[in-house]
Amino acid sequence: MDGVLWYVLASSRGGPTRVRIVRALDQRPRNANELAEELDLDYTTIRHHLDVLGDNNVVKQSADEYGAVYLFTDQTKANWTTVEEILDTVEADAEEEE
Amino acid sequence: MAVWLDVARAAAGVNVLLLVALGSVWLRNYRRHGAAHTLGLLVFGGFLLVENLLWLYYYVLHPDFVGWFVNAGTDVQVGMTFLCGLELVALVFLARITWQ
Repeated sequence: MDGVLWYVLASSRGGPTRVRIVRALDQRPRNANELAEELDLDYTTIRHHLDVLGDNNVVKQSADEYGAVYLFTDQTKANWTTVEEILDTVEADAEEEE
Repeated sequence: MAVWLDVARAAAGVNVLLLVALGSVWLRNYRRHGAAHTLGLLVFGGFLLVENLLWLYYYVLHPDFVGWFVNAGTDVQVGMTFLCGLELVALVFLARITWQ
């Protein structure tokens, strides 16, 4: 899991944006719309990054319905010290995105 | 069979392009936040880049090597081509997840 977290948050193209999402979700659970507003990013961009985070088992949706909030998986919680370390390392200044 | 030579050349060439693209993402991210994990990928990618440039030099610009390759048996040609070909498969996979 450590390697996956480092790759997804620090070494891939969308890493910095995903760090911002993780920070926002750490404050409180939010849905894609709230994240887009909070981070001032396009809804589709947010969805893309949430999909990547979901595929890598970092976050999960609280329910299947539209507008459900995103939560960290048990796996992410178990590796939270690594996540903290990555957040501290990656000072995510907003930038680029597809 | 010159076809294997062409395949090997193409694979080495695409490997170089992929490594430059991957390296640019890793270098940018490393300069921004200096994560050791990213540095590891950068070092790894750097050596693979040197390796593939060397392959390209042999395959394209080195007449003696090309002569040896063309006259070698099919087993040798296929094996040599696989060295760059398998690396290409691995790099394409890495590029896919890096670009997400």
